[in-house]
Amino acid sequence: MGKGRALLRWNAIFVAVVVILFLMNSPAVFGNETQPKKALEMRADIIQIDSMNVFGKLEKPAVTFLHQKHTDALEKKGKDCAACHLSEKDPTLDIERMSTMYMRLKNTSKQEDMDIYHDNCISCHKETKAAKEPSGPLECGGCHQEQVTVISSWRPIGMDKSLHYRHSKAQDDKCEKCHHEYNESTKKLFYAKGKEGTCRYCHAEKTEENRISMRLASHIACIDCHRRTIAKNESAGPFNCNGCHEPAEQKLIETVKDVPRMKLNQPDFVFVKTSASNPKKSNPATRMKLVPFNHQAHEKYNDSCRVCHHAALDDCVKCHSLEGSKEGDNVTLQQSMHRLNVNQSCMGCHEAELNKQTCAGCHTSFEKKRQQGTTSCENCHMVPPSRITHEVQPAEQKMMAAATLEAREAVTVTYDDQEIPEIVTIKALMNQYEPVKLPHRKIIKTLFNNIKDNKLANYFHHEKGTICQGCHHNSPAAKKPPNCVSCHGRPFNAKDPFKPGLMAAYHRQCMECHKAMDIKKPVSTNCTACHAKKT
Amino acid sequence: MSISRRKFLGWLGAAGFGSALGNTARAASNKHFDGYPNSNGVLFDNTRCIGCRKCEEGCNRVNELPEPERPFSDLSLLDAKRRTTAKAYTVVNRYDDIVSEKGPLYTKFQCNHCLEPACASACFVRAFTKTETGAVVYDASVCVGCRYCMIACPFEIPTYEYDKAFTPRVMKCTMCYPRVVKGLLPGCVEACPTEALTFGKRQDLLKIGRERIAKFPERYEDYIYGENEMGGTSWLYLSGEPFKDVGMREDLGVTPAPKLTAGALSVVPMVVGLWPVLLTGIYAINKRKGKIEKQEKEQAVVAALEKAQNEAEAKLSEAMEKAEKEKAAAIETAVSKALEEAAKASEEDAGDTAVEDADKKSSEEDS
Repeated sequence: MGKGRALLRWNAIFVAVVVILFLMNSPAVFGNETQPKKALEMRADIIQIDSMNVFGKLEKPAVTFLHQKHTDALEKKGKDCAACHLSEKDPTLDIERMSTMYMRLKNTSKQEDMDIYHDNCISCHKETKAAKEPSGPLECGGCHQEQVTVISSWRPIGMDKSLHYRHSKAQDDKCEKCHHEYNESTKKLFYAKGKEGTCRYCHAEKTEENRISMRLASHIACIDCHRRTIAKNESAGPFNCNGCHEPAEQKLIETVKDVPRMKLNQPDFVFVKTSASNPKKSNPATRMKLVPFNHQAHEKYNDSCRVCHHAALDDCVKCHSLEGSKEGDNVTLQQSMHRLNVNQSCMGCHEAELNKQTCAGCHTSFEKKRQQGTTSCENCHMVPPSRITHEVQPAEQKMMAAATLEAREAVTVTYDDQEIPEIVTIKALMNQYEPVKLPHRKIIKTLFNNIKDNKLANYFHHEKGTICQGCHHNSPAAKKPPNCVSCHGRPFNAKDPFKPGLMAAYHRQCMECHKAMDIKKPVSTNCTACHAKKT
Repeated sequence: MSISRRKFLGWLGAAGFGSALGNTARAASNKHFDGYPNSNGVLFDNTRCIGCRKCEEGCNRVNELPEPERPFSDLSLLDAKRRTTAKAYTVVNRYDDIVSEKGPLYTKFQCNHCLEPACASACFVRAFTKTETGAVVYDASVCVGCRYCMIACPFEIPTYEYDKAFTPRVMKCTMCYPRVVKGLLPGCVEACPTEALTFGKRQDLLKIGRERIAKFPERYEDYIYGENEMGGTSWLYLSGEPFKDVGMREDLGVTPAPKLTAGALSVVPMVVGLWPVLLTGIYAINKRKGKIEKQEKEQAVVAALEKAQNEAEAKLSEAMEKAEKEKAAAIETAVSKALEEAAKASEEDAGDTAVEDADKKSSEEDS
């Protein structure tokens, strides 16, 4: 009995201690302010050091390494990249290049690599600490952290036209400074004039045999060159993380507005080639009319050649043959030009343009599909194939392509003002409101003015009634298209379940267009903005 | 008497198994049901909804519900998330915390008119009926006010007239049953200016929904809510954003509510009828068994006691006999020995001394 009582007493003391400890941590009792959850710091220089995973599963969490933090600290001490990165002779170029690896040139063994990190990192942290300077952690958990307080703001950077122009100008148009090919037999890089292309044609996401990844290539080559140039006290691009990858600093990169064309034997005007080798193979009776293409203009519309020439600077038909081939991933020439939802195809890119505010009003309600109709095909397919005899197009044929495009009527037109009813009075919902006075002509004028300077739109709205079709849909372009009530009547007709009733047809036509074009007034929920109150 | 836990569970299992075997009967309101073939439904498309609350107004008007405190044109009510009440069969909520170019989305809440309604299966007076029009209607005249329907509904729709002391009713959307049988549209559908609400045969609405998704794949989530939820509902939904982001439950599963309970509830008549008999029987048997056991135990104890007594007596007498035998034997040997010695002595010395010695010895033995 006495024993039991003692046990109980100890138990009570234990509980009391636990409760006190708990309360001490509780801000509510002791008035400590709740620490707000620390916001994650946005950084563009985060490197996950998980290189050990080539030797199997990591034993500890990967180290979240902040590169720029280290380079900034080293810079203050008067040290440069060589403090951490070794150099070796690049056998393909016979020059000294700095490795992107830390204090080693290649992975050897797990223990050795681990020692390299531990010995060098920790010894430097120790030295810095001994010098009473802010330093990094010395214990395991300091670097190998499960929970990190940073989040990546890293953005990729690409060589757009402006950046390319600035580089080629700085290098006096010496393309060989960057562009190269690989010689399999000598295992050396060499420059092949006229074969320059985007880095990404060869340098892919991952390092493959004989070609390093895009990431490695750009960091070795770009940073190396920038560093050397700056060492010569000349101006050059950034060689730290943020300079290229931090969104705010990216914006500081100077852009040249009017970039001269790149010179790579590309045509100004050309007929889109339909057959690479054997023109006689296709049946002339079923051949489509040829498409004259303004190459020069499309260079201006896009940031780089890569937008269309996604795999190589070749003719489309080289990979995308009429029947499809392995090189073109069995995408036929027809598909490669007409596919929707992709950037590389003509129609995919043109379709994306319809999301612009000026276009979306009408086009948002149209199903996204190829509009079958002779007139729409002939906007591009203009010249009968019989007039073109050779696939290798001589200069005069290119001139013909240019002339055809020149002659093309590229103006948005519509009916004269007096032919367009100015006000259309809608007498529906008269039981609740006064009739609605629709500013019919004003709407057409606005739509017209919105697109009359849009070259792409001009090619597709050259019929007077086309703009009318934005609202008077499903009707041929005509001067007096059917009224809304011609088709829309009572709602929910089981025999025609997809057709909205008159009230919904009106409201949706107006509201969805206003929403797509970001027209703030009238507000959709304000009935009396359109329907005047009954008096 | 005592029943061990194991035994009790064993009986329970046996009873459960017995009732499951060869018994497909279900409680009357839980009959399996695939939906009326031509029943109606409403398709709500939140990409068309502009949040004007005209549907709420229409509902209020045709159902002759009390006038709300704030007018239907007051859209600031959408700032808070609301639920259906006894005075509002339907409410529209706004979801604008979605990061979307599509702008704020709205969800209209009302009874979904399940194909197999949970409320009906929970109601023991059958106040709810799934009609052939698709509407789930309520009969206040039989309602006892238990409000099981409110607990059963996965969409938290039925409400109760708590402010009525004598004739409180459960209130919920009727899919305008009285109007629909007259060939009119439900009040909300009729009032909707954009056909965000489409009325029609449920089968057609599913087709319309799929058609809209196919034509505008970027506009819609590729899913029709209500097609299978809780076994399917007459009210169907299309959404421009994931349904969970517009206040709709995604955890409901596809099993109709009655099915979840039908198995257990079908046992109820049997439990009520048979279990008392079964359990009483088991109890009686167990009790009798205990009684017999007790008797046998008592008998055994008596027998054992007798046996032990007899054995003890036998042992005692045996021991006494043995002792006497030993005594006699000892006397005999002593006498014979003395006689021998005496004979020897008389032979060697004189006859008198021998006799005296023998007497002395025998007397020592006796003491």
